[in-house]
Amino acid sequence: MTTDALAIDRIIRRGRVITLAGLVGVAAIYVLSLSYTPAEAMQGLAFKILYVHAPAAWAMETAFVLVGVVGLLYFWLQDARLDIFAEASASVGMVFGAVLLLTGPIWGRTIWGAWWAWDPRLTFTLLLYLLFAGYFALRSALRDPVERARFGAVIGVMGMVLVPFIHLTVYLFRSQHPMPVLGRPPCPPDAPNCAPSLPWVLLRPLLLGFLVFTVLYLGFVTIRYGIGLRRAAEEARNAE
Amino acid sequence: MPNNGNYLTAAYIVAAVILVGYTIVLWRGSRK
Repeated sequence: MTTDALAIDRIIRRGRVITLAGLVGVAAIYVLSLSYTPAEAMQGLAFKILYVHAPAAWAMETAFVLVGVVGLLYFWLQDARLDIFAEASASVGMVFGAVLLLTGPIWGRTIWGAWWAWDPRLTFTLLLYLLFAGYFALRSALRDPVERARFGAVIGVMGMVLVPFIHLTVYLFRSQHPMPVLGRPPCPPDAPNCAPSLPWVLLRPLLLGFLVFTVLYLGFVTIRYGIGLRRAAEEARNAE
Repeated sequence: MPNNGNYLTAAYIVAAVILVGYTIVLWRGSRK
């Protein structure tokens, strides 16, 4: 099925609007974090790195999980548009992954005293990132679009499986990475340190961060998907 | 409380440069 040029333009335009809204949201996170949020008592101002670091992790993991989900759908439906979306989502995931893997060490340097630690959470996140770097290396080496889509889907599914495991690394291993403040499993009521771990004033920018990075993911992936559709249409025209 | 505002500034600049930079790349890539 071909998607005509007008529809592609519409997709790209929509993506641009969503992206601009996301960037305004990033500015809002910065203003809220820097002007209306106090420094955390133990970590000082560096605690606020969390407000971009954790949402970037969320956006990267969402992007990579969707590559896997869409990969599974590709095996079933064999629709080339699914592969185009998977590539778009993987590419956006790499961008959020770069934010994650660069802001984390900046926090680590001041709180842990080291830029990097071979901690399970960090190591597996780096492994996931390298897996998707391999995803793009493999895709660029394959000329046949069907083969490219099939092999890409296999790597996408492998990456998707890693994501929940990365989330659980802090529970499964002795990890120095901080425990999640949101989305953690329930614990017994008498367990120590089980109360809400952040007061509202510190939680507010984090919740905004998750919302804004989700919007930004949607904007980026929509534009990137539109670009992918346009490239596929051009390839099809050249092949005729 | 540690005095580490410089690390926060560095992290926010890195994040902004990556996100705005990628937006520019996508913008240029999606022009006809």
